[in-house]
Amino acid sequence: MDPVAMGAVQAPGVYQGVADVIAAVMLLIEFGMLRQALARDQVRLYMAQSALISVLAIVIAADRNLPDLYALAALSAGLKVVAVPLVLRRLLGRPRGNSAPDEEEPGGVAGSQTLSPASAVLAGIVLAAIGFFCFGAMKIHGMAGGPGGKNTAPATALSIAGAMVLVAFGLMIVRRDVASQAIGFFSLENAISLAALVVASGLPLILETAFLFDLLVAVVVFGMLIRAHHTKAESLSTADLTRLRG
Amino acid sequence: MSSAHLPGPLLLPIPVIQLLQVLTVALGAPGVTGVIAKVEARLQGRRGPRVLQPYYDLAKLFRKEALAPEQASWFFLAAPLIAVTCYLTIPLLIPVLTSYGLPLGYMGDILGGGFLLSLASFVVATAALETGSPYAQLGSSRAKTFSAITEPVVLFVVFTVALLTGTDLPYALAATVRSSAGQVIRPAHLLAAAALFMVILHETGRIPVETHTGTNEFGMIEEARAFEHSGPYFALLKWGSELKQLILFTILANVFLAPWGLASTQRPGAVILAIAALLAKACAVGVVVAVIDNSFAKLRLFKITEFVSGAFLLAVLGVFTLYLGGG
Repeated sequence: MDPVAMGAVQAPGVYQGVADVIAAVMLLIEFGMLRQALARDQVRLYMAQSALISVLAIVIAADRNLPDLYALAALSAGLKVVAVPLVLRRLLGRPRGNSAPDEEEPGGVAGSQTLSPASAVLAGIVLAAIGFFCFGAMKIHGMAGGPGGKNTAPATALSIAGAMVLVAFGLMIVRRDVASQAIGFFSLENAISLAALVVASGLPLILETAFLFDLLVAVVVFGMLIRAHHTKAESLSTADLTRLRG
Repeated sequence: MSSAHLPGPLLLPIPVIQLLQVLTVALGAPGVTGVIAKVEARLQGRRGPRVLQPYYDLAKLFRKEALAPEQASWFFLAAPLIAVTCYLTIPLLIPVLTSYGLPLGYMGDILGGGFLLSLASFVVATAALETGSPYAQLGSSRAKTFSAITEPVVLFVVFTVALLTGTDLPYALAATVRSSAGQVIRPAHLLAAAALFMVILHETGRIPVETHTGTNEFGMIEEARAFEHSGPYFALLKWGSELKQLILFTILANVFLAPWGLASTQRPGAVILAIAALLAKACAVGVVVAVIDNSFAKLRLFKITEFVSGAFLLAVLGVFTLYLGGG
């Protein structure tokens, strides 16, 4: 029996399949951050996610003959896989003047979930559904513009990026600690670069680098906020901030 | 090639192939269990039991006397028979040896196979309840609770299959996966396969959920249900769980991950090759399972919902990428 005759959905090409799978794994990592209890594991997940987006950039560069993207991949790997996690680890590590090594590690964000992990995942699924639905409804045919116009299927990776943006917002909302919120914000940037890569991979390199350096500014700002909050409140939790009155 | 040119004995009749499907699963299942046990022992630095040990175990149990609790009714003794019957029916419905559908293969779809699996598990759980033994009852109550939460995952995997192929026949999905590399690499297919693998770990009582070799009753789920059975009936239950494991591995390998190496003709050589390929693939899946067994700790009972919610996430995202994402 011929499966295609039975109404099987045509598969997109292999390159697009690879891109979609990478995007899907990035979304899964985003969900992983949602339920991860330790800040340093979250940083590790962020590193993995950033590494994947560099791989995706290489895949797209090879597929569409865009040598600029190789440079972008190298740059973003250097920044997001090495530099940003390094800075984050420094910030989340033991700040100066903090004593005994067996004391509660400041990187522990275990108690900061406002929802139980299972409910957080369910909420994330709902958010992802909204993201998928909205981006699907826009009917942007991303990959179709490639040389040779291999297919006209809407880029699944774009919808996944949309879902990722919303789940990253969700992460920032359901966590009460500065560290997770910062990582949520950085992974939001990952989602946006994913969308940019899939839809407009021909975007000039200079524009994409500008995005990357925006991220650096954000890292510095968040770093200062984390430091300031930690010295004032002696914890990473933002729950203490509700006491502030104008 | 038309069969008119060939002398008769070169082609196996269809009913024989159909019977071979059942026999391969029935006779191969203890062997696959033996291989997994061996690999697991080797990974732990032990010599481990012989690969054929499960066969000797079954042979020994079949020769032993059967005892039943006094309060138990006829159902207690009928349950293992019904369960094994269910497990032996499923190989008729799934592509075990052939890539073309056999006449009885369209008797039921994936949901039909799922119904048979749940019927078998329901019957065993009910028999365990009959005994009045606390541990058997605990096992059956836990097994039913957790199978209720894995059900949605299986349903979403079936939805993915339905969206991919426009039908829910296992043969159609295997053919779709074989048809092009793009079908293998698409995220929905991989996500559904991963979700199914997690469900299989759960259903076969493997490590993140349960220590299958353990003798600690508090952690037991599936294994506790057979506590009160003995002799040939216990052998049937043991054989049944080995059958279930091989059936689930077959579905994962021959329908989702690697539907290659199946016989496309009725030639004896192709069919024998398919039998070897199936057992090799099942052992490969078994090795992966054994590695997972050795690299993770057992989850606390109340953390199992998180494991299942992970599987559910994979399955749901699979449907999303297809239905909303268009991929």
